[in-house]
Amino acid sequence: MKRLLKEIRGLLILGIIFFILPFVLPYRALATEVIIFSLAVIAFDLLLGFTGVMMFCQASFFGTSVYLTALSIIHLKASLFLAILIGVAGAAILALILGSMATIRKGSYSVLLTLAFNEMIYFIAYQWKGVTGGDDGLRGIARPPLEIPGLFKVSLASETSFYFLVLFFFLLSFYVIKRIIDSPFGRVLMAIRENEARAEAIGYNARLFKLLAFEICGIFIGLAGALHVLFMNFAHITNVAFDTSGNIVMMELIGGIGTLFGPILGAFLVVLASDKFSAMWARWPLILGGIFVLFVLFARGGIWGIIVSATKRFERSSLSKKVGFHIIAVSKGESDN
Amino acid sequence: MEINLNLVAVQIFNGIVLGMIYVMLAMGLTIVWGMMDIINFSHGFFYTLGAYFAYTFVSVTGNFWLALIVVPVGTALIGMALERTLLRKLYGLNILYQILMTFGIALMGREIIIIIYGPIGKSFFPPRALEGTFFLGSLFFPQYRVFLLLLVALITFGMYLFIEKTKLGSIIRAGTEDKEMVSSLGINVSLVFLLTFGLAMAIAGLSGVLASPMRGINPFMDWNILGICFAVVIIGGMGSFSGAVFGGLIVGVAQSLVGLIWPSASIIIIFIVMSAILLIKPRGLFGVRD
Repeated sequence: MKRLLKEIRGLLILGIIFFILPFVLPYRALATEVIIFSLAVIAFDLLLGFTGVMMFCQASFFGTSVYLTALSIIHLKASLFLAILIGVAGAAILALILGSMATIRKGSYSVLLTLAFNEMIYFIAYQWKGVTGGDDGLRGIARPPLEIPGLFKVSLASETSFYFLVLFFFLLSFYVIKRIIDSPFGRVLMAIRENEARAEAIGYNARLFKLLAFEICGIFIGLAGALHVLFMNFAHITNVAFDTSGNIVMMELIGGIGTLFGPILGAFLVVLASDKFSAMWARWPLILGGIFVLFVLFARGGIWGIIVSATKRFERSSLSKKVGFHIIAVSKGESDN
Repeated sequence: MEINLNLVAVQIFNGIVLGMIYVMLAMGLTIVWGMMDIINFSHGFFYTLGAYFAYTFVSVTGNFWLALIVVPVGTALIGMALERTLLRKLYGLNILYQILMTFGIALMGREIIIIIYGPIGKSFFPPRALEGTFFLGSLFFPQYRVFLLLLVALITFGMYLFIEKTKLGSIIRAGTEDKEMVSSLGINVSLVFLLTFGLAMAIAGLSGVLASPMRGINPFMDWNILGICFAVVIIGGMGSFSGAVFGGLIVGVAQSLVGLIWPSASIIIIFIVMSAILLIKPRGLFGVRD
């Protein structure tokens, strides 16, 4: 019982916070957007934060799923789960193809490849006007009801009911990603992050593991994309453009790379700040770029890193009052290692 | 479908001219990447900056020829200032942070340009002396494009001599292959980085000056061309000078010719060529190292 509680503690806290969130924010839709991007960012955190693989294909996975979900609703009259499944499957296949090509090479070369692939997918979506609608996108995509034939049928037309569907998917994904990270497989990913050559030397096929991480990341970003198009009711070219990748990377950096909870905080802050300031000042990306530069220079651990080091410092100072200075010396020696 | 051979010849010429712009940008990207291990996302910003500087300079002084010298010096100085203040704090860290830093710089740069010049595109004309057209039989070639072709060919040759024959050039070549060795030989790597970055930004600025009378100027011109130039560098191979030259020309000509048959696929073909070359030769055509 205790173990189970410990395992799902994070999940419970997130569930409570996100249960309250839509009633605190100025409008419901904002909470839905926060949660959808949180899902995309934790998926990316598995790849960057825990496997140490950087890439810029987020928009390709996100956008492919957006278009496929939209198209399956428009042309196939697909049900909710089928539409999401088709979108996610598309993103998963794309992740397999792009991932296997990007992992041919390592380091900066691989990053560059993912960027070029992202541009390729963008241009295909942009030019294939008959299918994607090009610059205009696809409009008027009705949200199918949540339905199990013969059992029940719930309309998702209201923002609140849709929010809780998204929350369900988010908590499920968070749990799965957390389990993957804590599993032996996750440990191998971290070994690759720490030292790829050494992981290979003890017999792990690093390329295969990186590809699998790529795949998992693609699937969950695809899920975020599918939910996003159901949320917005239209598919737009920016969903597949570099802007989306850049946004997700930004949330990851601001939140704290490799902390899982940090990126959720990052998504929350970026979505809220963009919503508030982009209406106030059209040149808001200037500040966004400045924040990027400042975080890279001064806070590479992100906001989560700042919080963690602040609490540590606080604990240390309250301890030192009680026990004297020995503790400081000891713990300093530890942190230097 | 009947294909007019004259049209093909003109498109090949246009493709080479376009390719020359790619060559200029890819040279800078590949040198910075090879020597400093930085994927410079702000490279496109310096191209845009060169174009806007040229626009201002030409509208104030009316002298295009002088802009060819003044603007690259300006972009090089800005580039070197950024290297000294921001980039150098990140050497030795994970490459991720350099990517994020240059990305942030590019984001800010574009917005600053919009604040100063507005979001709507601008244009200026090539100098009087280059407004005419050369005729060759039934083919015609705008003089400005011929001039651009010759000038970039000259600059590329100059860069080749610089990299192959000068001391700094040989340090850059050596640094691309093995940085540790270079610094252990007692060479001031910090200074070399500064000069490399400045040089790359000078060429990026110059390519902005040269491209703008032909392609117009707008604040968003950086991104599309940067994506293409990344593909060029992958095709040519990391850190390879000849790779940048051949990659740029292949991409320019392929884009132009496909544009003749199937215009909407003209940019996608670049990435198809890139993927094909990657599968056959993972290091790119002239790649030197992993």
